[in-house]
Amino acid sequence: MKNDIRELRAGQGLSQAALAEAMEVSRQTINAIEAERYTPSLPLAIALARYFARPVEEVFHADE
Amino acid sequence: MLMNSPRWYRSRWFMPAFSVSLGLLMGGALLAGDNAGAIWSVLLMTGVGALFFFGGRRSETLAGLGGPGRDERWELIDVRATSFAGTVLIALLIGCWLWNIGNGGDGSPYGQLMAVTGVAYIVGVAVLRRRG
Repeated sequence: MKNDIRELRAGQGLSQAALAEAMEVSRQTINAIEAERYTPSLPLAIALARYFARPVEEVFHADE
Repeated sequence: MLMNSPRWYRSRWFMPAFSVSLGLLMGGALLAGDNAGAIWSVLLMTGVGALFFFGGRRSETLAGLGGPGRDERWELIDVRATSFAGTVLIALLIGCWLWNIGNGGDGSPYGQLMAVTGVAYIVGVAVLRRRG
């Protein structure tokens, strides 16, 4: 699923490892989400959106 | 994040302990059957356990396989990999069963194993659909 995680993370100067630690997932999972190889679960998608203070639909683009 | 794996399964001690225990069981069975190589099976599985224990600190893949690095993506990978392995096993069982009965056998033990697999699948579906 297309998403803006990479841009949002880079915008805050965060590493993948730091975001992964905050989300309690592996760095590989963050990388897979950014590369659109893995669609996160609803709880993780919501947690990511909350972390960047955005609505989920602004972070993840299901229609594209 | 929410995960279905129990906490003990995600402990860094689980896979090393499992590997060593399996090695001891293998060694015991080999000894009971007067087969050579009992000590090697224990050493081999202890080595596998050590690989998970120490390698998990350096490799995210080993940490994911071993348990402590397991997250929701790893759980999904685990389910898919288990499904793939099960499909390969079922295909192999069917092939062996056909080969066996085609050569005059009664299909044992492949027929029984297929029956157990089929029943396990039906029970699994029945239980899992109740859980949602």
